[in-house]
Amino acid sequence: MIVNELILPVILVTIVLVVGAYLVAVIDGMIAAALGTPQRGGAWLAPLTQGAWLLTQQANATEAPDWRAWRLAPALYLALAATGLAVVPFSPTLIPTDLVTSVVLWGSVEALATVVIFLHGWSANTLLALIGAYRYVALGLSYILISMFVLIGVALPAESLQFSQVVASQEGLWNVIRQPLGLPLFLIVGLGMTFWGPFNLADSRDLAGGTASTVSGPSRLVWELARAAMLVAFSGVAASAFLGGWLGPWLPGPLWVMLKMLGVLAVLLLLGRLLPRVQPERCVTLMWVVLLPLSFVDLIWAGVEALL
Amino acid sequence: MDYPLIVDIFFLLLATLAVVSGWRVFCTDSMVRASFFLLVSFIAVGVIMILLTAEYLGVAMFFMMAVEMMVMAIFMVMFMMNPAGLNPMMMVHQHKFSIAAGVAIFVVLGGVALLSEFPDNPLPADLDPVASLGNELLGDSMLIFESAGIVLLTTMIGVVVLSSHRGRYGAAEEGSMPPGLEPGGDPAGMPEEGDEGGHHHCH
Amino acid sequence: MTLATLLLLAAALIGIGFYGALSQQSFVMLMMGLELILNGVMLAAVAFWALSGAGAPEGQLLTIVVMAVMAIEMAMGFALVVAVFRTKQADVTEGITGLKH
Repeated sequence: MIVNELILPVILVTIVLVVGAYLVAVIDGMIAAALGTPQRGGAWLAPLTQGAWLLTQQANATEAPDWRAWRLAPALYLALAATGLAVVPFSPTLIPTDLVTSVVLWGSVEALATVVIFLHGWSANTLLALIGAYRYVALGLSYILISMFVLIGVALPAESLQFSQVVASQEGLWNVIRQPLGLPLFLIVGLGMTFWGPFNLADSRDLAGGTASTVSGPSRLVWELARAAMLVAFSGVAASAFLGGWLGPWLPGPLWVMLKMLGVLAVLLLLGRLLPRVQPERCVTLMWVVLLPLSFVDLIWAGVEALL
Repeated sequence: MDYPLIVDIFFLLLATLAVVSGWRVFCTDSMVRASFFLLVSFIAVGVIMILLTAEYLGVAMFFMMAVEMMVMAIFMVMFMMNPAGLNPMMMVHQHKFSIAAGVAIFVVLGGVALLSEFPDNPLPADLDPVASLGNELLGDSMLIFESAGIVLLTTMIGVVVLSSHRGRYGAAEEGSMPPGLEPGGDPAGMPEEGDEGGHHHCH
Repeated sequence: MTLATLLLLAAALIGIGFYGALSQQSFVMLMMGLELILNGVMLAAVAFWALSGAGAPEGQLLTIVVMAVMAIEMAMGFALVVAVFRTKQADVTEGITGLKH
């Protein structure tokens, strides 16, 4: 019992998280090379050398930081990513945490991510990091709201707040077709909450790295790893909420989940490389004026469909 | 109702965490840190709720309090002279009385908890807490639930009215001055006329 | 984990919250005290629901209502702090002694 309920889930989540984060770096490097950005070293080896280099670097210190919070924030973000991945069902029986409110748990992971990112920027006690932290807080609320409405839309046909039920409810038709607005909106939320690509406003170049601007050495490595891991967890949630999770012919369920996660990751990373970064002010307007009403439309769509 | 040993162990750890972080709220130097200590306390209580099989309420506690404490931290930074916690901070009044009142309330409530007889009616085995909550919210207690919604809407309107920039008597921030460093002193953080650099009170 | 220990924990949280609400000078810290009190109240409500009320759905409803009260308390509190700060430049309770008269 303890093997099935504790050890196996922990091992599964850890492996998927680590391998997934490595694959994120590899795919991102490949996309960058294909788009013409010069890359040092091969795509498969570059993330490893980069990680090893960061490990050997000295950890930076700023003037009077909040040491505990500063060192803990990257680890907490990684822990949140692990929590998020733990609710993803890999097959009808292989579910790390089968909480009956796992959809809400994912929502609280997004909310707590805001706190952790703010803590990371605030505790460094430097200017640019603090600006990055404030930027994320200003935007984070809109990400949470959009994702909440989209996920309620997914929970409606399943009549449950449990991801395994959500996947089971897509037996006939996947949610990506049933609720066409859902997946695009959710992908934007995913890019936002990992501040990746066009929505990289917390750690952006114009802030010289934002919340990570003064972080170096091992804690920088953990922070980058945590961002990639959060992207992996997000792709797992997107795959089970919209792409039918373990459902699929011929292959076993867990393999389908992994393939769908890889597909979502590839789309996200491609978008991240292709789209330019949005201005923070415009991003707020975009979120509240365009995307939030669209998520209402998505929810109404799901509701009408559930009634019919 | 008997819980397995592991639940008891986790309950003890979480209870300690909730109380210690709740106490740290009032004796840490930075208000941002204080609000995150409060968040830790809420999360610990939320996990205890999940242990009690109130799965929705426990998880709702996480995301409600995460957003609430985030907003609180931002307000802390706005209103504090010492937001970064670089200086020691102890801003209290009637301290001894407050400690006595806190201890007295704990003793009274703890006495009630230990000495009185409560009925022992554990959850029925076939109860689905989430479904039961949903049926109650949109069934018998719909009026209460909807009134809470209306009150929240009223709050939003009231808050916007109270804090909006334009009021009946012109812009709200007109004539607004930051407080002085000492009572009755010059407003702090205001650049002097012709002094480009200005001086700030929170270095 | 029995009803008595759960209520004891709730009593501790309420006691700390009372201490904070009575002792803190800053409005925002005072509100933290109130929130801690409500934290204890919610825990007690859920404990009664699970161990003494045989899962009556009203127990969970009470907790939801307390959460709404918390949100209202915080929003109104911050709006009042902003309004007071704009007129009196005060962010501590002693700054508005004029309300006594």
